[in-house]
Amino acid sequence: MLKKIIANYIEQSWLLIVCSFAFGLLLALTNSAWSGRIEQNKIDKLNGLMNSLMTDANKFEIVLEGAQVELGKGKIVKTNVYKAVTSDGKTTGFCFNAEGAGFADKIELVIAVDAAFEKIAGYSVLSSNETPGFGDRIKGNYYRGQFKGAPVGTLILTKQGSAEKIDSDIVAISGATVSSTAVVNIFNNYLEQIKKQLVQKGIVNSGR
Amino acid sequence: MADKTMTAADALKGGLWTEVPVLRLILGMCPTLAVTTAVKPALTMGLSVLFVLLCSNIMVSLMRNLLKPHLRILMFTLTIAAFVTIADLFLRAFTPQMSEVLGPYVPLIIVNCIIIARAEACASKCGIFVSTVDAISMGIGFTIVLCILASIRELLSVGTIWDIPVLWKGFVPWAAMRMPVGAFVTLGLMMALVNTFTQKSVRGS
Repeated sequence: MLKKIIANYIEQSWLLIVCSFAFGLLLALTNSAWSGRIEQNKIDKLNGLMNSLMTDANKFEIVLEGAQVELGKGKIVKTNVYKAVTSDGKTTGFCFNAEGAGFADKIELVIAVDAAFEKIAGYSVLSSNETPGFGDRIKGNYYRGQFKGAPVGTLILTKQGSAEKIDSDIVAISGATVSSTAVVNIFNNYLEQIKKQLVQKGIVNSGR
Repeated sequence: MADKTMTAADALKGGLWTEVPVLRLILGMCPTLAVTTAVKPALTMGLSVLFVLLCSNIMVSLMRNLLKPHLRILMFTLTIAAFVTIADLFLRAFTPQMSEVLGPYVPLIIVNCIIIARAEACASKCGIFVSTVDAISMGIGFTIVLCILASIRELLSVGTIWDIPVLWKGFVPWAAMRMPVGAFVTLGLMMALVNTFTQKSVRGS
């Protein structure tokens, strides 16, 4: 009886199983062939975004490799922290990659902070698949502008308020609360933890 | 038009005229309305759909005699998803900027009605040659409509075609053409034009 049931299941689904393996193998091969190029594109884009956030910087040097950031629920990610250096060797700020869960998919940001690690210099979206016309407005100046100059610390998302006022209160994008929250959460997860590690290494002062 | 008696000529005529996916079957509306703000993304989307359509039609046609009726939609989706992922990886590797412009619309090809409709209506019933011709003609038909729609929208919204300025300096851009309303209005007018032309040719014959 059991043998009959198993035989019936195999007869019904063998093509599905074979195709799943075949397509899986095809995707694995394709991914391994192109993943290096995709990664390089990301690095190029990261450099471009860092340059756009830190316009006076001449080069970017890694000052903290593989900084660990806990995103909650035991999830730990690693990121590199770059120092923005001008042509005369002056440090103008720090940049790092940050990620978090968005509405549709993972949101990846490039965050820039001033040299004292006290004020946010801005952010750019490295990758996101947020809803066009709604969540993808996190790429727009209305939302991004609220972070530029905001203090490094806990940011609070509000539904009402002035977007022009630069402080810890970030006014959400109407119709895209989840995406707005996701960006604020990314900042709150990363800023304090990255700063703590930079202070420990003696790269920035504690400011207290 | 899609049965076992379908010929390559029927498939060719269907995809390019009598059953143009967007204008006749009203399928694939999501990318049609979303990525036609400019010609470049429209062409990329059209070619991506053509690639997925061609690969999935060939695969479905090859396995058509092995398909269990109650599992066929699952098999179609599995096949389509595999080729969409390849297309997505290709764009991310070789045209990263275009991949960004298209955003989530490339992965969304998985649920594009045109592809699943052709798998169900043609590839699961016809041989490999007819299925290939059907995929190519449907893909080209879809791409042409997308490019025409995008040309009109790009021309009126920024005064360029393929990023090349073609209108006079004093031209005031129509911002609405970049917005969804521009896509709906242009598509509606295109459909009206094609329907009028078809009715006239039917009356004439």
